[in-house]
Amino acid sequence: MMSLAGLLHSLRRSLLHLEGKLLQSAGFDGHLTPALALNGPRLQVQPQQDEHLDEEQQSPEQAPSILDNIMWMAAPKKRRSIEINRTRRRAVEKLIKVKDNVVPCLECGHLKQKHVLCGFCYEKVRRETSLIRIQINAQEGGPLKAPATETVVLYEGEMPGDQDQDKRIVERARKRPTWFT
Amino acid sequence: MVVNCFNMATACTGRGLSFLRSLTRHVRGTALSGRPPAGLHTSAALEVNKNWERRNLQLYPPQLPGEPRRAAEVHHCRRQIKYSKDKMWYLAKMIRGLSIDQAITQLEFNDKKGAKIVKEVLLEAQDMAVKNHNVEYKSNLYIAESHSGKGKYLKRIRYHGRGMFGIMDKVYCHYFVKLVEGPPPAVEPRTGLDQAQEYLLGLRRRTVRHSL
Repeated sequence: MMSLAGLLHSLRRSLLHLEGKLLQSAGFDGHLTPALALNGPRLQVQPQQDEHLDEEQQSPEQAPSILDNIMWMAAPKKRRSIEINRTRRRAVEKLIKVKDNVVPCLECGHLKQKHVLCGFCYEKVRRETSLIRIQINAQEGGPLKAPATETVVLYEGEMPGDQDQDKRIVERARKRPTWFT
Repeated sequence: MVVNCFNMATACTGRGLSFLRSLTRHVRGTALSGRPPAGLHTSAALEVNKNWERRNLQLYPPQLPGEPRRAAEVHHCRRQIKYSKDKMWYLAKMIRGLSIDQAITQLEFNDKKGAKIVKEVLLEAQDMAVKNHNVEYKSNLYIAESHSGKGKYLKRIRYHGRGMFGIMDKVYCHYFVKLVEGPPPAVEPRTGLDQAQEYLLGLRRRTVRHSL
C-alpha cells in the first residue's frame, strides 16, 4: 500500500517536472497567465540564447519539440482585401437560388413544393391523428395494452359495418372530416 | 443654452413666460424632440440611429393635376435581430426586385433562420402599407430596397487551451426594407457578352489628354 502511494507520488512529481520543461521550451515563465491566442513564431526571447551565443555553434542541437514546428505551419501572408473577400462571398454559386417549384395545393390553396406534401394539409391530419391517439390511450388505460386486432375510427352517427365486426372501435365525438374517407 | 438665458432674463414677466412656452412648443413639434438635447454628451454605445423609421414621416406637397401619380412607399425595419449581418445579406439580396408575394413565397420555403424573420418584417410592412400609406391592393407592392446592417454586439470570452482566451462577439443585425407600390420593374438580364462589350466601349471612349 505504502509503496503504491509512494510510486504514484513520484509519478506525479515526474509529470509536473515534464510539464514545467515543456512550458520552458514553449517560452512561458513557468506561470500560465492569460494571453491572446496568436498564431506565429515565439515572441519571447529565450534567456539561455543570450548567454550562450558563442557556444551556439558548438553545443549540440536539441531535438525539435512539437511547438518548434509552429515555424513551418501554413499561415496567411497578407491580409485579404475587402474587394477579394466580397468577390468570394458574393459569387453567383454562393447566392441563394430562387425556387421555381412552388405550386398552390389543390386541396387547401396554400403554397407547397412540388415534391413535398402540403404543410397545411399535413398539419390538419396530424392534429386529428393526435386526438384519435388520445382517445386510444384513454381506452387502453396504460402502456403495452394494445389489442391484437385492427382498429377502426367511427365518427358521430356512424355504425360499425360488416367488415368491422372483429375490429377495435375508436369513437370520436365529431362529424367525419371530408378528407377522411 | 439659449433657452436658459431667456429663462434667467424673462422668468418674472408674464410676456416672457408666454414667449418661453411658444419656444418650447416649437421645439416639441420638430422631429428633433426624440433626440437628447444638443449640449448633453452621451457615449457612442447608447446612441442609435432611427433614420429608416423617420423616412416614413416625410411629407410631399399635394400633386398637381397633370403630374404622374407618385408611387406609395413604405419603409420598415427590425432592429437587433439575433443573426449575422453577412448571413442576412444573402436573404436581402435574394428578394431585391421581387414582388411582395414572390418574396414571401421564396422566404417560406427557405430553411435559414433569418428567412422567418424577414418574412415577418415583410408581412408587417405590407400591413402598414395598406392601413397607413394609402396602398389599394396589398399584392401591388414590390421590394425596391432591402439590406441588412450591423447591430450592437455583445462581447464574451471564449476559452482556449493553455490559459489562452479570445473575445467572442455575440452578433446582432438590423434588417431594412422599402416597399413601393406598383408592379416590379422589368430587369433586363446582363450576360457576360454584354458586360464585355460595355468594357470595350468604355476603353474606346477614352480621350488622350495633352497629346500632339
